[in-house]
Amino acid sequence: MTTTEASGGLSKYLAVYVAMLVITLIEVVIAYRHPSGARLLVSMLLLAAIGAVLGVLYFMGLASENHRSIVAFSVFTLFVLATINYGWTDSFRILFGAPFSK
Amino acid sequence: MSHSDVALGGHHVPVMEPSPFAVPAKKLAMWLFIISDIMTFAACLVAYGFLRNSTPNWPKPFQSSTIVSVMLMTFIMITSSLIMVLAVRAAKVGDRAGAFRYSMITLAAGLIFAVLHIREWFGMIAQGVTFYKNPWGTGLFGGAYFSVTGIELLHVIAALIALLIVSLGYKSGRYSAGDIENCGLFWQFINIVWMFVVPLVYLMNVAG
Repeated sequence: MTTTEASGGLSKYLAVYVAMLVITLIEVVIAYRHPSGARLLVSMLLLAAIGAVLGVLYFMGLASENHRSIVAFSVFTLFVLATINYGWTDSFRILFGAPFSK
Repeated sequence: MSHSDVALGGHHVPVMEPSPFAVPAKKLAMWLFIISDIMTFAACLVAYGFLRNSTPNWPKPFQSSTIVSVMLMTFIMITSSLIMVLAVRAAKVGDRAGAFRYSMITLAAGLIFAVLHIREWFGMIAQGVTFYKNPWGTGLFGGAYFSVTGIELLHVIAALIALLIVSLGYKSGRYSAGDIENCGLFWQFINIVWMFVVPLVYLMNVAG
């Protein structure tokens, strides 16, 4: 957050606050509709990711940092999050046997 | 001529390079710490997802009363994040009293969150959930549940201690607005992690 921004209005932070609460409410509604496992997981992850992006950009102030910071932090973090998901396929192997065996 | 001047050949060149990304060093360190902590939480949540996905009899124990409590915790956490933003803004314009007041409100909200979190744990333990067994299905559930929520609670407690120390120090003039901002970054990060813990751990396991 820059000094110029610090003296600015609160409206965008209130908008993010309301958006985060609404996202949580939508998650609860979806959870009580009991969709199938994959649909539930994708919906939850997508909504959580939207809330997280809003939080990082505005509550953590990344949106008001310089462009190079945003690119560096985002690319590094997304790369780590992407690579750490390689294990998912193995969880299906435990359930259904070796992947790609059929 | 100083020793450093001799070492630099007598030329007056800057000894320190400018901060990368034009971010103050302490703030950059906090961002790098948060990125490394993302790996910790991501590994925990992926491990949890792995176990849940690969275990056919995964329990779905969370009743509506638990979900209401978790929603209250989420409301407190998101509200505390907004208040922490106000604390950082106040610190940035040199309003020490305002920054301290907002930090203390954040601290109080965090304490309520932690108490509710521990209450949830006691509720689960009372139902017979331990690290190794539970009354509903695979024994892995307890270990996964307590690990993921435990690491979140540990972060909350650590952040509250840091916030208390830094806020008191800021009020007395020992710490700067940048230190309040760094505390705020960590608090916001914990809120963001909670936004993943709630759907993945609680809402995906609603009893029905």
